[in-house]
Amino acid sequence: MRLVTGQGFWSPLVWLALAAGVALLAWAFWFRGRRTYKAGTEQDMPFLSGEQVPEGAHVGGQHLYWGFVEGLRPFVDRVQAFHTGFLGDYMTWLVVLLAVALLVVMLT
Amino acid sequence: MIGNFPFAVCMILIALGLWTLLTRRNLIKLAIGITLIESGVNLFLVTLGYVRGGVAPIYTYAPPGARMVLPTPQALTLTSIVIGLATTALMLAFAVVIYRHRGTLDAGKIRELKG
Amino acid sequence: MTIGIHVPILAIAVPLLGAFALPIFAKVHRNLRDLWAILVAAFTCAMVVALAVQVFTSGIQLYTLGAASPTATVVQGGFPIRIVLVVDGMSAFMGLITALVGLASLMYAFQFLKEEQGKTLAMTLFFLLWAGMLGMEYTGDMFNFVFLEVTSIAACALVGYRTWESRPPEAAFKAMAMYTVGGLLVLLAVGILYGEYGALNIAYLSSKISGTPLDKVALGLLLGGLLMKAGTVPAHMWAPDAYGEAPAQAAIVLVANTQASLYGLFRVLFTLYGGALSTPAVGWLVTALGTLTLLVAALMAVIQTDLGRLIAYGAVSQIGYMLLGVGVGLTVISSRPDFGLVAMKGGIFHMMNDAATVGLLFLAAGVVKRACGTKDLRALGGLGHDLKWTSGFFFLGALALAGIPPLNGFASKFLIYESSFRLSPILTAIAVLGSILLLAVFVRAFQGVFLGPRLRTVQPAPLGMLIAMGVLAAIILAFGLVPDFFVRHMVTPAAEALWRGRDLYLAAVLGG
Repeated sequence: MRLVTGQGFWSPLVWLALAAGVALLAWAFWFRGRRTYKAGTEQDMPFLSGEQVPEGAHVGGQHLYWGFVEGLRPFVDRVQAFHTGFLGDYMTWLVVLLAVALLVVMLT
Repeated sequence: MIGNFPFAVCMILIALGLWTLLTRRNLIKLAIGITLIESGVNLFLVTLGYVRGGVAPIYTYAPPGARMVLPTPQALTLTSIVIGLATTALMLAFAVVIYRHRGTLDAGKIRELKG
Repeated sequence: MTIGIHVPILAIAVPLLGAFALPIFAKVHRNLRDLWAILVAAFTCAMVVALAVQVFTSGIQLYTLGAASPTATVVQGGFPIRIVLVVDGMSAFMGLITALVGLASLMYAFQFLKEEQGKTLAMTLFFLLWAGMLGMEYTGDMFNFVFLEVTSIAACALVGYRTWESRPPEAAFKAMAMYTVGGLLVLLAVGILYGEYGALNIAYLSSKISGTPLDKVALGLLLGGLLMKAGTVPAHMWAPDAYGEAPAQAAIVLVANTQASLYGLFRVLFTLYGGALSTPAVGWLVTALGTLTLLVAALMAVIQTDLGRLIAYGAVSQIGYMLLGVGVGLTVISSRPDFGLVAMKGGIFHMMNDAATVGLLFLAAGVVKRACGTKDLRALGGLGHDLKWTSGFFFLGALALAGIPPLNGFASKFLIYESSFRLSPILTAIAVLGSILLLAVFVRAFQGVFLGPRLRTVQPAPLGMLIAMGVLAAIILAFGLVPDFFVRHMVTPAAEALWRGRDLYLAAVLGG
């Protein structure tokens, strides 16, 4: 029941057993915690920097991981700049790929 | 020497087609560029099968002992011509549809899909 | 005369007949058309599965067209003049992927496509594409560029047949131009090989190719054309356009089509040029392009706001993993250490996993498009309230694509990580980084589309579409929970057919 790679192995069932163990442990910690939660109070509201959350507010997909994307911005901008959507550029890159392939094959 | 002349013509045709694809922006001209490459490749295939003094490769009609040109490249070329017709027709049809939607055939302006 | 020996050609011929007969049946009655489609699909899948079982249990299957006996591949003198279908482990494995994807696509299409929006046309093109892919995978002849072009034409028509919208024709034109140039490069290479050796049979060519300059030019042209058609960076830009704009049931088949081109590439590198490639340079080229592909595509996926294009970039990055795995195998093939075969297994296993996960994501995105009429992440949200099953399937597919254990994407990526680490740790680092980026991408997509308060009320997906997604989800779970079973019985024969199967392949076709 395991996938041997030569250096290690991967067995989903062992992983699931371990995951169940960790979940049990987490539940045990949580279970021993203090019970101060009261339903129907402000504790039910989502916490958004202490601001009042308007009804039906939705953090859209483009806002999630905002900092992550901003951190990648220099790379992303450079990569995005070469996806111009212009068919001539597509062809140029195809010719570049062809030239690289031919060069590598011919020089060896 | 003169026997290599058709190959040179093929390569010139292919290079011209690539040049068209890289420098022109009109969708119809791009289709023409692709057709040029296609003609170059087809000519290349037919040239490959040529045998000096050969006759058409039909056994029942050929005189006995005659040299025949190779039949396989001709089959390849015929297939390629048919496929070329289909691709060209499809590309021109898409060009027409694009023109109806955008009012332009300039590939530099047809860039709604990018990034 | 039993049907058994004709299985390879029937698997190609039946969907081809199915494609061209479909519009005629549609003229008679819609139900007759649907019945015909189901019959053809069931028969094709049965043929493909039967063939795969035969190959995995008793080795390479041959079929010679037009010969007195299907196994009479060569005429006297050992020269193969007829077109031969050769199905080895790798071909059979690819056939299974194609059959699975085709089945899911067709099940989905029945309720996804609308009659007045070219349902008959789309189904016809689908069968044509299916036949083309199976033909590419089963052929033992370089003449297979015909099938390459058949798939190109059918795929582009599927992308762009919705001519009443503005974007699909643009995507289709771009893809068509790229496909055609790539196909012509391949045809030119085939011509060069024919001119040199006077044959088109892969096994015969392989026994003759010795690495002359013309051989190398042909290899370069084949690499250029097939890598482009597989969607490798930097010639990948047509792929997100085409995948993003194609209707869902077509996008999933386009993914399988990309993999068929990848299969063509592997066949060329391992079988056709298996005897002439002594240096690891080409292997390094494939590995480097794979790494570049997975990184660039994952970076581009991060900033997409259209759900279709986002999944499309995810699909392109998965191609990078396959190229990386098989490229590592190719790099070390002359010294043949253990991890080369492990890398090949990872890359090939990932093809099946990619077909299931990306297919599932595209189908779920199709449900979203059908329900809301848009795929723009900025306008979507809260669909999980109404599309419960769909959001569950999307979540499963997203986790599997990002390589989260214990799903199937992890199993194959694990094989790739472990083996590429032995070649160079940098490759593994980039591959893991790509997976992290993809996880971020798909968490964003899932949160943006399915979570949050209910913004609108939509109709849930009909049962047929849910079943199609359920099949792929079941594959993801099965391949994730018992990967060793599938690796041992399906992936290992496929990997070994490429890794050290060239001699067997040549012996099977040329005899002795």
